[in-house]
Amino acid sequence: MAKAQVEQRGLSAAEQIYQQRSQRARQLRDEGKKIIGYFCAYPPVEMLTAANLVPYRIMGNPRQAVARADEYLESIVCSFVRSCFDVALLGGYDFLDGFVASHACDNIGKIYTIWRYNFKPQFSYFVNVPNTTSTASLKFFRAELGTFQRHLEKFTGGQITEQRLFEAIKLHNENRALMREIYALRKPDPPLLSAVEMNKILVASQSIPVEESNQLLRDVIQDLKKRHDGPARKPARLMVVGSEIDDSPLFQIIEDSEANVVIDDACIGTRVYWHDVETEGNPLDNLATRYLDRVMCPRTARERTGSREEDLDIRFGHILGLAREFGVNGVILYILRYCDNFGFDVPDLRDYLEKAGLPVLFVEDEYLISSARLKTRIEAFIEMIS
Amino acid sequence: MAEAPREKTTAVKATETVKRVPRLIKAMLMEAHEGKAQGKPVVYCFLGNNCDEIVRAMGMAPVWPENWAGFCAAVHLAEGFLKKANAEGFSDKLCTYATCGLGFDIMRQELGEAPPDAPFGGLPKPDAMLGIGLSMCDPRHKWFQAVQRYTDVPLHTMGLLVPPYDIDLKEVEGYYIDYMVEELKGLVEFLERIAGRKMDWDELSHLIDISDETNDIWYEAYQLRKAVPAPMPTQDAMSAFVPGWCLLGTQQALDFCRDLYDEVKYRVENKIGVIPDEKYRLVWGMGIPPWFFLQLFNFFESLGAVFTIEAIYRPFEPVEIPAGVSHPLERLAWRLYKRGTYRHEKARKRTGDADIEYLIELIDEYKIDAVVMHRAFSCRTVHTGQLHQLAVLKKYRNLPSLVLESDMVDVSSFSEEDVKSRIETFIEIVDAHKRGKSTHPSAS
Repeated sequence: MAKAQVEQRGLSAAEQIYQQRSQRARQLRDEGKKIIGYFCAYPPVEMLTAANLVPYRIMGNPRQAVARADEYLESIVCSFVRSCFDVALLGGYDFLDGFVASHACDNIGKIYTIWRYNFKPQFSYFVNVPNTTSTASLKFFRAELGTFQRHLEKFTGGQITEQRLFEAIKLHNENRALMREIYALRKPDPPLLSAVEMNKILVASQSIPVEESNQLLRDVIQDLKKRHDGPARKPARLMVVGSEIDDSPLFQIIEDSEANVVIDDACIGTRVYWHDVETEGNPLDNLATRYLDRVMCPRTARERTGSREEDLDIRFGHILGLAREFGVNGVILYILRYCDNFGFDVPDLRDYLEKAGLPVLFVEDEYLISSARLKTRIEAFIEMIS
Repeated sequence: MAEAPREKTTAVKATETVKRVPRLIKAMLMEAHEGKAQGKPVVYCFLGNNCDEIVRAMGMAPVWPENWAGFCAAVHLAEGFLKKANAEGFSDKLCTYATCGLGFDIMRQELGEAPPDAPFGGLPKPDAMLGIGLSMCDPRHKWFQAVQRYTDVPLHTMGLLVPPYDIDLKEVEGYYIDYMVEELKGLVEFLERIAGRKMDWDELSHLIDISDETNDIWYEAYQLRKAVPAPMPTQDAMSAFVPGWCLLGTQQALDFCRDLYDEVKYRVENKIGVIPDEKYRLVWGMGIPPWFFLQLFNFFESLGAVFTIEAIYRPFEPVEIPAGVSHPLERLAWRLYKRGTYRHEKARKRTGDADIEYLIELIDEYKIDAVVMHRAFSCRTVHTGQLHQLAVLKKYRNLPSLVLESDMVDVSSFSEEDVKSRIETFIEIVDAHKRGKSTHPSAS
């Protein structure tokens, strides 16, 4: 964080960035850098970094009811997308030079056109991501990333060489490795950091350039390893599974109860950080493989094996694997209302985890957390499993 | 399934041809049931997913759970299926076509056969299912995955994509076409494994010829609907699409569309309108109708307003396949791509949205006085962006607009009284606007 106006280091720096999330991006823009907002875990951020652009994760505000988006987006639209759009309407993304979305779901697919029309970014690109992992899908996606690259080059006026792509891939791989190292500090009982802290680190990390994020994460790891004021041991160790559970009060509600959240399968969490990009071979091939095949999101249909048990393992095995690796004794399935991709998985996933001995609490709610009712349900669940 | 059917559920139609549609649906399902009993494989498919001719050429029977769910809604027999799926853990906010179909699949699994009161004997148990990853609808790759919980038969998911509106098509056309051809090849290989036989490519070409001819004459019939008075209303189109989308590649569908064309032509030539005194001409914009209350179209008519044309459940514009493309899978790929990008260039140069461009065309060509949409709460795909479409449209064509809200299948949020009240107010606005008295044309 050498250049940033962040005086603290480590955990306190993460807290400061989290509190003023756009401050660094705005400062960089004043210095002449271009900032590109992006939705969800699918746009290959390495390509933005290689193009000398700053990727900035678009998030909503789960603590604030939608104020202006009602005029633009129907109430049946996913509340996360509505919140993001509302933040943008209120000026929260006025520093962005560009906008990248992907075919992650119907909601994000639709918002791309509406966002472009209303905010008229200098640069925009829709990364068309196939819904299958077939050989043909991979080949298509590789070609699509080639088009994305040409558009980035046209926008910046510079060439994205293989070398620059590999350098960016290495930086982002390092970022992922560091984040996984922080995740690993949640394996002990009690964990060395709370989910509330983890969430702040994730939000902060996806709001600053990757080089700065790497330094931040190294400092955070140092802080965490020598801290003595971490979370207390609690009867329940939980995993949270869902989609865009980003800057969410959900973790505070859970951890105010008798539980620590120690791992997630969520869009700003492990879904972003759990798999690296290969560093040998063609960089665009490697990016295509990583983003299409390794990001485990229910929006992608995996090749079938012919055996239902094996298919369920392919779809949900990574969740069970994380639950076991982090020693959880319960899972909260937090699904945003109007989310077809996650919603259709609920009965299968719930049964899959329960069959493996993990109690599941299924909550369908809005991105804006309605805390009183939710708190009661979570406390009852924790009491049941403790 | 305790719910009793209501006395009347459908709208009064104007054309004689479309009155054949319920019989066609019944015949289609009976044929699938009988074929199944004789060993003909049944395949769950999605409307418009480019697989119709391929499935038929493989000697299989496509069935359409999406369409069947709409039919359940129309005869007011959907609620029991919806509740069954909801009780299983499928949210009541998910696509209700899907949850209606899932509820039926759950019941069929529990009973070992279709529930006795399922419309038309329900759907036959499939031997395979075809999902599709298309940039239009998430349930198309999630719904059948969920069905496997109750009907564990092979599922194949194709990835077919169309480019976004803002891309220069020349830049991407090659790899989109290559991709679609490869995915269609994968579909053929999958079906060959299920059927235990090879594709008859000549038969496939023949079926594509039939379906192209069907679509084109259907399209021509709808061109005739530009006439004043309107010869065929939207409620007829909400039936007429069934042969064009569910029986594609069959002689029945071709005959139906030819007859429809002849009848519409006759009505135009003889100035036979939908209603005697046509005061207002409306367009049904993007939005799936409430299948359980199609009488709403007749209610508009009672106020002098006719739905002249619609932006949904329609034929595609005839498209030109490049010379030299002759392999049937390449023809299918080009057809899908050309149809899917038909207004992209126009959108790129003006509104940024092909759906808005289409609305503008319809307004101009069909002499439209006002726009009506319906928002189905359980479907993001079709209904997200309606507010945007109307806001942008207003900059180009300042017409009154109305958005009704409920669902396509789930009747729970529907109030006949409220809807009628809103329609009456809206028609007053349309009237004032037409007389040049209104400055605030939106009733949405």
